[in-house]
Amino acid sequence: MTLLSDNTALVPRSLQGRARTWRLRRGGLRLRRVAVALILPLALVAAWWLASSQGWLPEQILPSPAYVYATAVEMIASGEILYHTGVSLRRVVIGFLFGAVAGLTLGVAMGLSRRVDDYVRPLFLAFAQIPTLGWIPLLMLIFGIGETLKIIVIAKGALVPMTLNTAAGIRSVPANFVEVGHALRFNRWQTLRLIVLPGAAPSIFTGIRYGLTHSWTALVGVELLASSEGLGYLLVWGRQMFWLDVVIVAMIAIGIVGFLMDKGFDATENRVQRWKQKEES
Amino acid sequence: MAASYVSSERVLKIRRGLTLPILLLILWEGSSRSGLVDPRFLPALEDVFLTAKRELIDNNLIGELGFSLFRNIAGFLLGSALGVLFATLLALSRVADALITPTFNGLKQISLLAWIPLISIWFGFGEQAKIVFVALAAFIPVVLNTYEGMRNVPADLIEVGDALRFTPTQRITRIFLPSALPSIATGVHLGLIYSWLATVGAEYFLAVGPGIGGLIIAGRERFDMALVMVGVIILGIVGFILNRLAAKVENYLLRWRVSTH
Amino acid sequence: MSLSQLTRRTVLAAFAASLLAVPAIAEPVTINIGYAAIGVDSRPYAEGTSAATARAGEFLEKEFANDPDVKIEWFFFKGAGPAVNEAFANNQLDFAYQGDLPSLIGRANGLKTKYLLASGARKPLYLAVAQDSDIKSVADLKGKKVAYQRGTNGHLAAIKILEANGLTEKDIQVINLDSAGTVAALTSQDIDAAFGDTPLINLAAKGNAKVIYTTKGDDPRFSRNAGIVGREDFIDKHPEITQRVVDAFVKAAQWSSDEPNRAALFELWHKSGTPVPILEDYFSNDTLAYRNSPLIDDLLVSQYEEQAVKAKEFGLIRRDVSTDGWFEPKYLNAALAKLNLQNFWQSYGANGKPLGS
Repeated sequence: MTLLSDNTALVPRSLQGRARTWRLRRGGLRLRRVAVALILPLALVAAWWLASSQGWLPEQILPSPAYVYATAVEMIASGEILYHTGVSLRRVVIGFLFGAVAGLTLGVAMGLSRRVDDYVRPLFLAFAQIPTLGWIPLLMLIFGIGETLKIIVIAKGALVPMTLNTAAGIRSVPANFVEVGHALRFNRWQTLRLIVLPGAAPSIFTGIRYGLTHSWTALVGVELLASSEGLGYLLVWGRQMFWLDVVIVAMIAIGIVGFLMDKGFDATENRVQRWKQKEES
Repeated sequence: MAASYVSSERVLKIRRGLTLPILLLILWEGSSRSGLVDPRFLPALEDVFLTAKRELIDNNLIGELGFSLFRNIAGFLLGSALGVLFATLLALSRVADALITPTFNGLKQISLLAWIPLISIWFGFGEQAKIVFVALAAFIPVVLNTYEGMRNVPADLIEVGDALRFTPTQRITRIFLPSALPSIATGVHLGLIYSWLATVGAEYFLAVGPGIGGLIIAGRERFDMALVMVGVIILGIVGFILNRLAAKVENYLLRWRVSTH
Repeated sequence: MSLSQLTRRTVLAAFAASLLAVPAIAEPVTINIGYAAIGVDSRPYAEGTSAATARAGEFLEKEFANDPDVKIEWFFFKGAGPAVNEAFANNQLDFAYQGDLPSLIGRANGLKTKYLLASGARKPLYLAVAQDSDIKSVADLKGKKVAYQRGTNGHLAAIKILEANGLTEKDIQVINLDSAGTVAALTSQDIDAAFGDTPLINLAAKGNAKVIYTTKGDDPRFSRNAGIVGREDFIDKHPEITQRVVDAFVKAAQWSSDEPNRAALFELWHKSGTPVPILEDYFSNDTLAYRNSPLIDDLLVSQYEEQAVKAKEFGLIRRDVSTDGWFEPKYLNAALAKLNLQNFWQSYGANGKPLGS
């Protein structure tokens, strides 16, 4: 129940369930699967190409794929796309770190102490009901449109899922685990580090994942609203100048970063889980 | 005896829960009265209240809210209905799954707000563009969760369907939809939350029109912090109500699960 | 390309013919008119142009008062010229008041429009700085946060001003803000300076900013132009309606150019929320006829051509854009003849010198 008021818990991370089972089969099948998966994108690009070369689709609605490709190549060669991606990534990393550390701290406190939870949760949930975008104008009035605003908005995006998932994760650690700690005469810090946090790890990871996704969405939002660099700015810039090719290149860059964050996160999570299993065995 | 114990714990919980908000309000009132904080950044509580009253009585706040809610609900219904249909197709058709799912997984990596410029150019400055954007926001989580739910339908249930020689329609309505219901409910719940976020986004970034998002932006432009706060509070209250509503619907839809326990 | 254009034309022609076959009067028409600006606090009015006069004085509504089948819809865009282009791309507008740069950008992207008459030509641009700023001249902007709305005619004019002072867009931090956003950011000193017009004069009058430069009285090449642009399909389909729309705009231009109307004009434009004294300032030292002329004279055409070249040079338009065949003075000339206004406005040569008498 309370988990659900966090906008994020319980979402399957992607439609990967099937992909996993596939991976267990032979490589040939996998190759075939990739080939089949590519049919639709290729068909779409072909249709797009045909439509624009035949003039069925006015270029002010969708520029030709060749034009978008040329723009992409040009923007990669000039370093423009890399620069704006770098700016956005830096903001996300800094903002996310602030938000995640704050969320982890608050979540641990709420998870460990019923009292803290009672005091903080209602107010926290009330704040969490307001979409991140809703905060931006208010924060703009206080902090202006500089870098501070961006970091705070991104941090806020990460804070909510981090806090709620950490607290829930710690709550879910069975009491008898903690008793084992008592039996072993662990001190508080040892109990936290060796028993509670590892037990809560899966849930904390869920928090990190959604924190990252939310941070990324918040970043695009705040860059759309007030910015002079970054991928969100590139979108606005392209929109203002009616450069749909630039808009599409920026969208693709945003998609790729999102994808890499997702994959990178998967890899980290797997590694940590494996390490955890090794520790345990 | 036990009952009074429970209720006293509840009272304690409520008392604790109210402590911080009340402290915050006192701090707010105190600092704005003492003039310690620039009222431009922190208007007096009274100002916020008066602004709310003014907007409500003189400036058609309810109308603005109505516009936002209309977009939100229209987009949400459209997006989640299409989402359930689309996910059903992907989950039940091997061909569609192999062909479309990877593309969908790729496209969903594009952050929601990044669609704004294209949606604006494709759908123009009217209501249509806003509703399409909100629908997209609801569509994605509904598809993901519905798909997940349908793929996890126990194999023996499917076999039962085969044994009973169900038609494809029967298989969907009697087996897949009911057993995927918990996941669908989760998706719909998330869709509702995301569509509220998208409603605000649409009002910020697509053409101006009536709505709570526009009200907040106008407040910022006029340096009217009280107005911005009124808008933000309304966003929160609506978010809260939508959340509760979704939870209620979810519980209602899943009531049969409790009885099986 | 040419073949596909040909087939498109044929289809359109067939479509138009099929429509013409139907009695012309029976079909109700809504004329959607866009305006690349919005009033203070999003009021659906504007100021400073004959198009704004037509809107506030209901010149079009009066023109079609006896045609119940014709409806007029006005749309004002906070997103200014770029947003008008998006609306044109969706066929949501039939006519629009739009600045030079955005209409050229639209043309470069293949929007099928015609330039029908000038409105809001020769508009000045102002540079305002935050109240406590030590910026004294355009050259001091180097490295500062400067706001303007990208893709508008103010954007191109601003770059030209920067260029004249030895700066490029890369030397400053450009903050893309619409006019209301600019006012807020300048008041709170979030930005150091901003290019714009009446909102900046107003802000300075209230003591929240300082205007340190204006193109007014400076090189006329720095000023901006605008005009009424029509969608080609609509014009081809409804030439008579187009003629009457242009007639109404010309009447509004005439009324806006008559010096005895000066006070009444500013009062009318005040519907946009801009105070009358600000408008007086905005028009000081200019005759109304100079600013409100609808003429597509050599000066205007040459300025648009120059804007196209400059926009390409500054990288605002990435393809060559030709103005050939874009200007369609037919309707304007017919209106001038009908209203007997052929000699009402002074036309200028490409060199900026008055032509004729």
